[in-house]
Amino acid sequence: MTSRQYYLTETRREFLKYTGTGIGALGLASALNNNLYAASNNESVSFLNPHFVPKAKNVIYIHLVGGPSHLELFDHKPELIKRDGQKCPDHMFKGKQLAFIRDHPTLLGTRFKYNKYGQGGLALSEHLPLMGKMADHLAIVKTVRTEQFNHAPAQLFLHTGFERFGRPGLGSWVSYGLGTENRDLPSYVVLITGSVAGAGNSLWGSGFLPTLHQGVEFRSQGDPVLFLSNPKGISDQNRRDIISGINFLNETALADVGDPEIATRISQYELAYRMQASVPELMSINSETSSTLESYGAKPGNKSFANNCLLARRLVERGVRFVQLFDQGWDHHSGLFGSIPKKARQLDRPVAALISDLRERGLLDETLIVIGAEFGRTPMLQGLSNNRAANNVGRDHHKEAYSMIFAGGGIRGGTSYGETDELGYQAIDNPVHVHDINATILHQLGLNHERLTFKYQGRKFRLTDVHGDVINGILT
Amino acid sequence: MSLFIFNKRFLVCLIIGCLPFCWGASSDSLVSHWAYVTPEHPNFSRIDNPNPIDHFISERLRKDGMRLSRLAKPEKQLRRVYLDLIGRPPQPGESQSFLSNPSDLEYNSTVDRLLASPQYGEKWARRWLDLARYADSNGFQADQLRDSWAYRDWVIESLNSGMPLDRFTIEQLAGDLLPQSTISQKIATGFHRTPTCNVEAGVHPESNRINQVIDRVNTTGTVFLGTTFECAQCHDHKYDPISMKEYYQLFAFFNNTPLEVKNTSGVTWDFYGPKMDLPLSQLKLKKKNLLKEELKAFELEKKNIKRSLSIEQKVWEDEILHTLKDAPKWNVFHIGAFSSTGDSSYIVNQDQSVLVYGENPDSSTYKIIIKDPKLVRVTSIRLEALLDASMKKNGPGRNFEVSDNPNFVLNEFSLKVNGRKALFSDAKASFSQEKFDVLGAIDNDAKSGWAINPQFGKSHQAVFTLKQDLLLETGSRLEFKLVQNHGGGRTIGRFRLSGIQGDHSKVNLPTEIQSILLLSDNRNDTQIKRLANYYASIHPRLKVIEIRLADLKKKIDDIKPETTLIMSEMDKSRETKVMMRGDYLTPGDKVTPGTPAVLHAFDKTFPKNRLGLAQWLVDPDNPLTSRVFVNRWWSAFMGRGIVRTQEDFGTQGEVPTHPELLDWLAIELVQKGWSMKHIHKLIVTSHAYRQSSVTTKEHLKKDPANRLYARAPRVRMSAEMIRDSALATSGLLEPKMFGPPVYPPQPEGIWRHVGRNAPKFLPSENENRFRRAVYVVWRRGAPYASFVNFDAPDRGACVVDRARTNTPLQALTLLNDQAFVEMSLAFAARILQEPKLVNDEQRIQFAFRVALARNAKQVEVDYLKVLLRKRENQLIKSPKTIDALLSEAKWVPFKTNNQEGIAKWFTVANILLNLDEAITKG
Repeated sequence: MTSRQYYLTETRREFLKYTGTGIGALGLASALNNNLYAASNNESVSFLNPHFVPKAKNVIYIHLVGGPSHLELFDHKPELIKRDGQKCPDHMFKGKQLAFIRDHPTLLGTRFKYNKYGQGGLALSEHLPLMGKMADHLAIVKTVRTEQFNHAPAQLFLHTGFERFGRPGLGSWVSYGLGTENRDLPSYVVLITGSVAGAGNSLWGSGFLPTLHQGVEFRSQGDPVLFLSNPKGISDQNRRDIISGINFLNETALADVGDPEIATRISQYELAYRMQASVPELMSINSETSSTLESYGAKPGNKSFANNCLLARRLVERGVRFVQLFDQGWDHHSGLFGSIPKKARQLDRPVAALISDLRERGLLDETLIVIGAEFGRTPMLQGLSNNRAANNVGRDHHKEAYSMIFAGGGIRGGTSYGETDELGYQAIDNPVHVHDINATILHQLGLNHERLTFKYQGRKFRLTDVHGDVINGILT
Repeated sequence: MSLFIFNKRFLVCLIIGCLPFCWGASSDSLVSHWAYVTPEHPNFSRIDNPNPIDHFISERLRKDGMRLSRLAKPEKQLRRVYLDLIGRPPQPGESQSFLSNPSDLEYNSTVDRLLASPQYGEKWARRWLDLARYADSNGFQADQLRDSWAYRDWVIESLNSGMPLDRFTIEQLAGDLLPQSTISQKIATGFHRTPTCNVEAGVHPESNRINQVIDRVNTTGTVFLGTTFECAQCHDHKYDPISMKEYYQLFAFFNNTPLEVKNTSGVTWDFYGPKMDLPLSQLKLKKKNLLKEELKAFELEKKNIKRSLSIEQKVWEDEILHTLKDAPKWNVFHIGAFSSTGDSSYIVNQDQSVLVYGENPDSSTYKIIIKDPKLVRVTSIRLEALLDASMKKNGPGRNFEVSDNPNFVLNEFSLKVNGRKALFSDAKASFSQEKFDVLGAIDNDAKSGWAINPQFGKSHQAVFTLKQDLLLETGSRLEFKLVQNHGGGRTIGRFRLSGIQGDHSKVNLPTEIQSILLLSDNRNDTQIKRLANYYASIHPRLKVIEIRLADLKKKIDDIKPETTLIMSEMDKSRETKVMMRGDYLTPGDKVTPGTPAVLHAFDKTFPKNRLGLAQWLVDPDNPLTSRVFVNRWWSAFMGRGIVRTQEDFGTQGEVPTHPELLDWLAIELVQKGWSMKHIHKLIVTSHAYRQSSVTTKEHLKKDPANRLYARAPRVRMSAEMIRDSALATSGLLEPKMFGPPVYPPQPEGIWRHVGRNAPKFLPSENENRFRRAVYVVWRRGAPYASFVNFDAPDRGACVVDRARTNTPLQALTLLNDQAFVEMSLAFAARILQEPKLVNDEQRIQFAFRVALARNAKQVEVDYLKVLLRKRENQLIKSPKTIDALLSEAKWVPFKTNNQEGIAKWFTVANILLNLDEAITKG
């Protein structure tokens, strides 16, 4: 048995250590796949091994941290505007848990116009005109419900299906299920604008899954990947010499001891060396044409959401399975009508450009774009009822119903799915739970959320716990 | 009883349609699942094996036609047992007696020495702290730090002192409930004060508390029983015989501690769980006493001065009265000309004050010309803002806007003498509004300025001290400019300008004091007292003393004891109800504290509280706790558990590979006084542990996974062991133990949470930089970066077994992380410093012994010698890189000046610290 064959056997065995027996073909392929991302340096590493034919290969998931107001952006409620200033109906306040509102609040109608876009006449805020032009690619789910109304727990719940720490997030599950297509890059990459979301790095930690599946943050400041650059005074040639030295001595040890982990480590050092060149290249958007840069509103050297959208395209282009964007600054407890236009402008152009750029490159069909948040905002005003100045009013956290946007890989564009009541408080038609969202995303990647399991502490865990239904109404 | 449970379970399974699951766990296994049966002492003969472990391992191997490997080479054994017991490799010279005479006796005495080393506790605490989800921060939004490190130190100390594990368990779960509990026993309860705590605005404290109690129940199950209770939160457990009701009976044990989140102001919530003051450290106590002595000395001096104060005061009074008589006086300037921007009107009053009235422009600049002021040497200028009925509340500002507050803002006050600018060195005002100090009027910043809100309706004055005395000849011309551009008509309505010759500070007494002074002998009691107080306040020595006293008092107050988080029971216990679907807002039936019926009985003498629960856990009848403990240690030493699913001894877990060995170890643990060190010694002195780790063809064929231990395991070390070993190799390892967390270097920008009081990561610039990993600050939202890359968890929840991955990020960490670069450089210096090494070959040999505890092979030496020559040539060609590289180790205390040598040997040091062998226990 060559060390490589042996290595594969070992991999299989190691995998079973994590999963126990009886998981079927998915797990086995996944295990080989995972370790090959980490190890092999001379074979194709494409191991897409889903449960059924996938509609998408990659995901770009944009999380608008803080929870933007669906009522200002996606869900038009004329009746709410009409009843602006009236006390909200009892069922929206009495016996409900709210984060900040303590006194019986008044209703707050939006002060923005909505326009209809595309063949389907999809209604979107006047502040999202460029996304409007992409309306025939968008599906808006208006009835998402979550169970948490504070940021950190709600963020954990959205990503891991559980409101406390310790579980893997969606990106880790996808990495575990499908692995990567690029042997030089992690399968799950995280890009952040603004400060980190409340739940911290745990949002992309791998929980009980092998840490191989945790998201790797590509940073816009300092080394794009931690510890990527050499110490001062160490040239590329020095580094090459050192790595050759390490690998020479490791090979000697491999010959003596025969532990395949050593073979893996040797390839990891080669991969690390390649990453020192490939990651900076990937992160540098200088090579993009000026018209591309302009369409996103991206500028080389900037730390902007626009830059991150462009990087997301570059990452999926290179086979990174799951790209997670976080954009901070959507928690509008006050100053709602001043802040939304500004934030919407930052969102509108890059997202529209991302969709059209992916389409032009033939990548839109295989890339699922998700725009979401941990929760929405109340139809009720937060702040003093007698001061309704634009820079004063805001909305509280809202878990009963909010909107999420889908585009690309297998999504039926121009769709509005689900309906909230006339005040935008809760679903009256086609309610959707966060678990359904996660089930749907996995479904598009060819993964059955009920079969993507990991055995831990004597129990088979799923991202969707014991819930989740695929939202067929938004799929092609 | 257990049969009944099974029946009920079976019924539930039928109802909820998960029969297949139940079927998997057959009736036999539920009723008599091996792990729920008390361990039995296996029958065996000890004749062929002095260590019973080897008996069990050999017996099992024989069944598969295999046997134990020969002992590993002595240096391998030594490195292995050092790494396992104290978490770092042996250094040259250590345990030399064993290497020169590798007998069992020498080996055993080495083991005894290591077990007695304080580093044993530091090494083994890490695993326990993973279970205890110990961290230095709350988790969630903002993720603030709070002190709980005394608990971490308690764990280290307890492991070192060999505290029996039953006591170890009881003190952590219920130290506070022990009769006359000691400080140490209370610190121990920090074990269950580690659950994450959400203080983000909008939190509901009760929901936060429920989550914490759930965490305590689940963690207790995992840590002490190897059992997952979690499923039973929402419904009866699918696989294991634990009902939902039983879950909430366990919950009831933990349901009596107070809320840990409190509303402090507005929407601001703070972490507020029970804390305890720690005793002051010797150092702090000494410091406090010294300060107190100093304080006493000053108080004594103050007393003495006060005694003779009246005499001194009389002297002062005479002096002042004398000065007052011929003190310099303010000379009012006669207005030569006045102009202002805007359309205001003005008149010059008899007293030479200028009244501005009529139109009130948004802002206005006044220009005043004084012709021939008739003073020779002017030292200060006074500007008076005076009252007039033309203004609201009589002024002195003209602001009529919104609030009726007659304020003014004097943005700039300037003076030209005969066309040349005169500079002011200081300005003092009768009153300055907050953020509008009078100094703002002479700072050349048109935005800052002097204002007087809320002291309206009274005159104000500002005295501007000239930087140099103005020497004025006859016919001199002064030109004042008052810029008032704040807007809103905030201008001075009536003002007057004066100049003074000589020092005015002597008469700079409060008017009240001045008039009391002038009364001479006609003062009443209040006035006498007032004067005495005033004199005391300006007495030069007393003034100094008062400042020192205030300073000392503050310093003494600032020496506060450190605190730690502890469990504390409320006076009145809460009622516990089953939570339907796990939701606390939908309570079901009431329950009282109790333990699962499938396990051993809860002794009637145990109290029905946390203490009773802890006693029940370490009851010798408990079939689980002792097995769970020994299994985890076995896994740490041997690479895998006897029960591989360490966190699950239930029906869904794996069956033990060596059930008799597991039971024997479990019984041995209890019989030998719950001694962890005893079991550790048994394991590390076994042949199974000491054997070679070389994998043969037979091994690969018959047992590739090494389930039966025909060879010793090779296991990558934990993140913490990797740091500690590299520190030891580099010679930087700082042995200091205990105390607040330390901050070794990590890249900038890793701590960047939102919210108030977000702590900052400032790398230690002293010996703390080089302390062991167990002391490194653990922030849940962003744990120490290099640890994360080596599979450290975020400690947001209990972790039994860490993953062991092998990734390119690990390579990058060891190659480029500043902490490891520093260690490589220090290691290079250490190689150079070592005396008696005459050539590079010897130095390479030394480096191998330090890093890998073995000699280098010839092929390794030859390779590195070639590389060193190449490196030497590189450095000759680009000598500047030496400084650059050395600058990475700013805080490393090198003992050699051979910078070129360090840069050269860095290559070898860096290679050795990166070797698979260096980060693997083999």
